[in-house]
Amino acid sequence: MIEVVDLHRWFGSVHAVRGAGFAIPAGQTVGLLGPNGAGKTTTLRMLTGILRPQRGTIRIAGTDALAHPVRARRHFGYLPESAPSYPEMPVRSFLRSRAGILGVPAGQRKNRVLKVMDECQLSSVAGRRIGQLSKGYRQRVALAASLLHDPQVLILDEPTNGLDPTQIREARSLIGDLAQNRTVLVSSHILPEIERTCQRVIIIGAGKVLADGTPQDLIQSAAQGGCIAECKGHVAAIGTALKQALPGCTLTTEPLEEGWWRCTVRWESDMNTPEAVGAALLAARCPVRLLRPEAVGLEEVFVRVLDAATGGEA
Amino acid sequence: MIAILTIARREFGSLFRTPVGWIVIALFLFLTGAVFVFGALSPGQLATLRPVFGTTTLMLVLVAPAVSMRLISEELRTGTYELLASSPITSLQIVLGKYLGALAFLIVMLLPTLIHAGALALVSEPNPDPGPIAAGYLSLFLFGCLCLALGTLASTLTDSQTLAFLGTMLTLVCWMLITNIAPQHVPPAIGAKLAAASYSIRIDDFARGTIDTRHVVFFLSISAGLLVAATSALESRRWR
Repeated sequence: MIEVVDLHRWFGSVHAVRGAGFAIPAGQTVGLLGPNGAGKTTTLRMLTGILRPQRGTIRIAGTDALAHPVRARRHFGYLPESAPSYPEMPVRSFLRSRAGILGVPAGQRKNRVLKVMDECQLSSVAGRRIGQLSKGYRQRVALAASLLHDPQVLILDEPTNGLDPTQIREARSLIGDLAQNRTVLVSSHILPEIERTCQRVIIIGAGKVLADGTPQDLIQSAAQGGCIAECKGHVAAIGTALKQALPGCTLTTEPLEEGWWRCTVRWESDMNTPEAVGAALLAARCPVRLLRPEAVGLEEVFVRVLDAATGGEA
Repeated sequence: MIAILTIARREFGSLFRTPVGWIVIALFLFLTGAVFVFGALSPGQLATLRPVFGTTTLMLVLVAPAVSMRLISEELRTGTYELLASSPITSLQIVLGKYLGALAFLIVMLLPTLIHAGALALVSEPNPDPGPIAAGYLSLFLFGCLCLALGTLASTLTDSQTLAFLGTMLTLVCWMLITNIAPQHVPPAIGAKLAAASYSIRIDDFARGTIDTRHVVFFLSISAGLLVAATSALESRRWR
């Protein structure tokens, strides 16, 4: 449904997007993750036609978005980062006006406006000026505006930005409902948000795609080879034992109470790291009270992927 | 076409949803009314609206930039430009929609001044010649078209309404000074060319009751050229 190949964008001498590429099949909800300045918004702006890439290909619902931009824009609804709207307009008038611009036929406009107001729970504020509404409602108005032409694809840039926890929960549930029968690409730097909402995650950093997969796959691949052990003994002896038994492993130690240490061991090997760590510590006569594989979340995956890409400078 | 009219309708409505539109109309009508009462209704004078048209032209140099300054600049400043730029419409449709909305506002602003023509007909004997009045209104409309097209271009170039206003107004003032005063101080060949580019000389012709198609083409072609430039400026934002 969305196909991006070797996308490049320069702003003067700054190479903001460097060969980003991904393909999103119909019906998938995908999170675009990245730190601030990673190129997420620039990528989305190129997808939506606000910016033209200097190199690369974009296809949306089979339409070449660079050769036929107007036709391509009929296939998606876009919620920009700041959820812009016209504060002086009543909600209903704004949505009717947007429906006209989005090419909804005059005869269907009233019904479409009623339908999206119902979908986004805006009926109670239909006659109120947008400027008088809370941030959460304004976000919903902007989201409703992106649904008026019943697009196959929804592109949402930081849809929960600036919302309070209750509003975030409501927005998440609304996006979940909308994703039932659409392809959704949602950008965010709020990791739990993406973890809960998306079936697939694309991590973008320095304008490049650094990782791509389901949250579970990414977490699993990051957790592989990681192990946490709590043991007692001299820290130098523990270090020597582990380095000898698991050559090339990375070890971090953290002192606990009464001579106990928490050791985090990462070892890139096919062998079972907790088993090897346990055996090495027992051989060094260090009592072990806890031994488990390292549990990582998407946040850890995100940090590691960025670390790997920047050589630990991120 | 639907998209253009939708944008035009929104733009027209938004000028009345904010105090700016009402203030501009009120000031414009007050000043043109004052000029009519003190300039055209004096006893013993010819029954003509020429003084009103002359002053209204000068007022348009101030009023039209005030109407056009927000057209695109405001969208750029508030981020609503992203909504338009990601919609299935072209930059030309955006520019035309905005321009027509502002033009409709200008027409609504000029319409109440027709009452001056009616009042003049009531108190004058013989009745005023309708030709110069119709030509005068046509000149105001054409000059309004040109001012708003220039203002639309200025508002695509900056997200500051103040800069868009000043840019439009100063261009119109400089244009008038260069084409009206400079011809007297330069060699006749250059002076004639400068005078041919004058909008105020053409407006004077209209006020005398002459509808010269060359003048009509002058205003319409320059307006169209400015709108094409505005479209290019807006489209170039996708490359910046």
